[in-house]
Amino acid sequence: MKSLETMRRYVREPQLLINGYRALGKKIIGYRCLYVPEEIIHAAGMVPYPLFGGPEPISLADSYLQPYICEFIRNVFDRALEGKLKFLDGLVLCNTCDAVRKMYDHWRTYIKTHLCYIINNPQETYSNHAYSYYYIELQNFRLEMENFSGQKITDENLARSISLYNETRSLLKKAYLLRKQDPAALSGAETLDMVMAAMIMPKEEANTLIRDVLKEAGNRVDRRQNSGPRILITGSIIDQPALIRLVEEMGGMVAADDLCTTSRYFWQEVKGDNPMDALCLYATQRCLCPCMHPAEKRLAHLQELIREFAVEGVIYFNIKYCDPFIFEGVMFKEVLEKTGIPVMVLEAGHDLSGIGQLKTRVQAFIEMLW
Amino acid sequence: MAEEVTSRAATVLQTTVEASRSVRWYYEKVTAAKKNNKPVVWAFGLVPREIWHALDIPVVTLEHFPLLLAAKQLSGKYSQVAEERGFTRDICAYHSCFLGAALSDQLDAYTEKRFPSPDIIVASNFPCNQEVKTPQYLAEHYKCPFFYLDAPINPWGEEIKKHAVEYYETNLERLLVFLEKFGYRPDWAALQESVRLSQHLLRLWNKIVDYRKKAPTPMGAADGYICLYPLFQLPGTGIAVEIYERLLNEVRQRAESGLGVVDEERVRLIWAGLPPAYNLGLLNYPERYGAVVVQSELEWIGGAILDPEALNAKKPLESLARKTLLDFVNPTYSNRINLWKRLTREFKIDGIIAVNKRGCRNLPAGNRLIKDTVYQESRVPMIIFDLDGVDNREYDDAQVKANIDTFVESLLSKKGGRKQ
Ligand code: SF4
Ligand code: SF4
Repeated sequence: MKSLETMRRYVREPQLLINGYRALGKKIIGYRCLYVPEEIIHAAGMVPYPLFGGPEPISLADSYLQPYICEFIRNVFDRALEGKLKFLDGLVLCNTCDAVRKMYDHWRTYIKTHLCYIINNPQETYSNHAYSYYYIELQNFRLEMENFSGQKITDENLARSISLYNETRSLLKKAYLLRKQDPAALSGAETLDMVMAAMIMPKEEANTLIRDVLKEAGNRVDRRQNSGPRILITGSIIDQPALIRLVEEMGGMVAADDLCTTSRYFWQEVKGDNPMDALCLYATQRCLCPCMHPAEKRLAHLQELIREFAVEGVIYFNIKYCDPFIFEGVMFKEVLEKTGIPVMVLEAGHDLSGIGQLKTRVQAFIEMLW
Repeated sequence: MAEEVTSRAATVLQTTVEASRSVRWYYEKVTAAKKNNKPVVWAFGLVPREIWHALDIPVVTLEHFPLLLAAKQLSGKYSQVAEERGFTRDICAYHSCFLGAALSDQLDAYTEKRFPSPDIIVASNFPCNQEVKTPQYLAEHYKCPFFYLDAPINPWGEEIKKHAVEYYETNLERLLVFLEKFGYRPDWAALQESVRLSQHLLRLWNKIVDYRKKAPTPMGAADGYICLYPLFQLPGTGIAVEIYERLLNEVRQRAESGLGVVDEERVRLIWAGLPPAYNLGLLNYPERYGAVVVQSELEWIGGAILDPEALNAKKPLESLARKTLLDFVNPTYSNRINLWKRLTREFKIDGIIAVNKRGCRNLPAGNRLIKDTVYQESRVPMIIFDLDGVDNREYDDAQVKANIDTFVESLLSKKGGRKQ
């Protein structure tokens, strides 16, 4: 599919996009993770740019952060130390996992972009006063972005950004839902590429391409027959398709995934008349990551995906030293297995270099599901 | 193996014995309360201790119980139980040890006696993610009422933003409402008294710290570690104040008579991170060189960096919010780094021993930052090596001591060099 090929190329060669942003004189603001409201950065005329890891092994970062901390974050920090993220004008983080929070002081001290900001979002999402507290944090963030960009963020601009990003969300969800069909018009690995590209691309261009994906998918003849067991993959960040591909190559069908590079990015839309209220509300209603509370809400979301996508087995993927998912994996495995859904917990490094060793386990799991 | 190399801390103060007795006193109190059908809380994370004591709620805390087990060489055994239940060896040993004891079918007599089952579980995300995950799992396991206390992080340092203090304060109010369901009525007079006692304790602590800055130091980290219990686990109680009043007297007397930890104090060290609870004698190990670990960073946990005058008994929850959010173990490091700059300067430190605890994502990540900041400011060097303060299975005595030997010898030769 041509549209998918273009999107895949952007994931492999993000420099193409970065050059484009630079040519337009835009400031590029790196961020982690999904609790950073991209729309506020966008409404200030800047580019929100999610940071992913690279394929290279970690070298410099190991003398700054202990080796027993999330390999993904060490990888990102390593890339910054190596000068590979020099295109960033600033970094925005939020209050999620320990690894992300650790980057704050390290970045300020050793990388020294003009901006390094952390949004102090609450980690619980159900009370009114968490909402009020978050509102103040978002207002402070909005001011910070105005100061940094030198551009006032009007409510109109913000509403426009929200609607643009909502369109991306809704298109991505449409494409995601294609995997409900049998045979499915998109594979899990293709969906990952598409979402990751949409995350780093200008949204106008991404929206056009996703529309094309939807059109081309409708005419696709080489559809994947859903002959294998339907599997849901959840867990730590997956920013390269190796694991999903492995499952699909071994005969499984990645029917759904709950990852911060896939459905967690777009599942809900930002809704409401007042843009700041809408962004606040969104944070309380979106799919949660395991750093947020209550855990029951996340479990309920997974169970809904399992039902909706007729999932037969769950692969719970942990990046080494990713505590939120390590704990949740044990907890959810027990609960889901009680409901008759087999769960396999897999642990690997961020670079998935040991993926070959996981092959036998993945194969055995898929065979067990037949 | 750990069993062959462990040694107890060699302490020099009489009051340390009393502090150690307060541990036993408190655990006995909790077990007795359980026998009398009082609901017992298991608390995870830095929930202000003053609340438990003001409302007379028996509590077992994640931040202390595993240390008791480690001191009895039991931590590895219980961490193993957690690993058999599916938790990896990479999680924090505080948590694996606690989980193992909580899930074990066969507790040893020592643990059994001090570990009543929970009726309520309270967890705060301060200072790390794991503090919430273990209790979530255990609440499900024990089918126990669960309260989550959300704490904002503090990237601002000493000037915490008003909305963050208010947010945490409101969460403490909600905790009180939750606890009332189990018969623990909020008693405002008792909370105020608890904050008053906590303030008094902090004043005493600051005076003790001032004496400890003297050379030779009248009280080292070995005594400090044990005396931490009243300061960290019993603030807001009369017993903590009594112990600290006596501690102050003893430290003052020793300082005034020039009594140090060793005969000739040649090198002054501070310990960053968690000392090995199963081998506290290691804190005394450098003394063979005339080197004294004058303090460990851990002694400042629980908000001990707060200016006592910032506590206001008339506003108990706001005061406790400030005390908690200012804590140096915050997930961002401004206050920790400031603390280190201050300690190095005021204690006239020659070197810092820093350990990386394997399963901890919080403190070890700051070690390099401290190393660079302190070195830049005062040219004080820091050695960093792996040592898990709770899990005794991975302790490598020879390697650890070799690290300390090399470091202290280099400090001594530098000092010798300066004299010449
Ligand atoms: S993979 Fe886990 S530890 Fe790493 S950044 Fe994501 S949530 Fe945090
Ligand atoms: S030692 Fe580290 S990981 Fe363990 S509970 Fe404390 S802060 Fe969390």
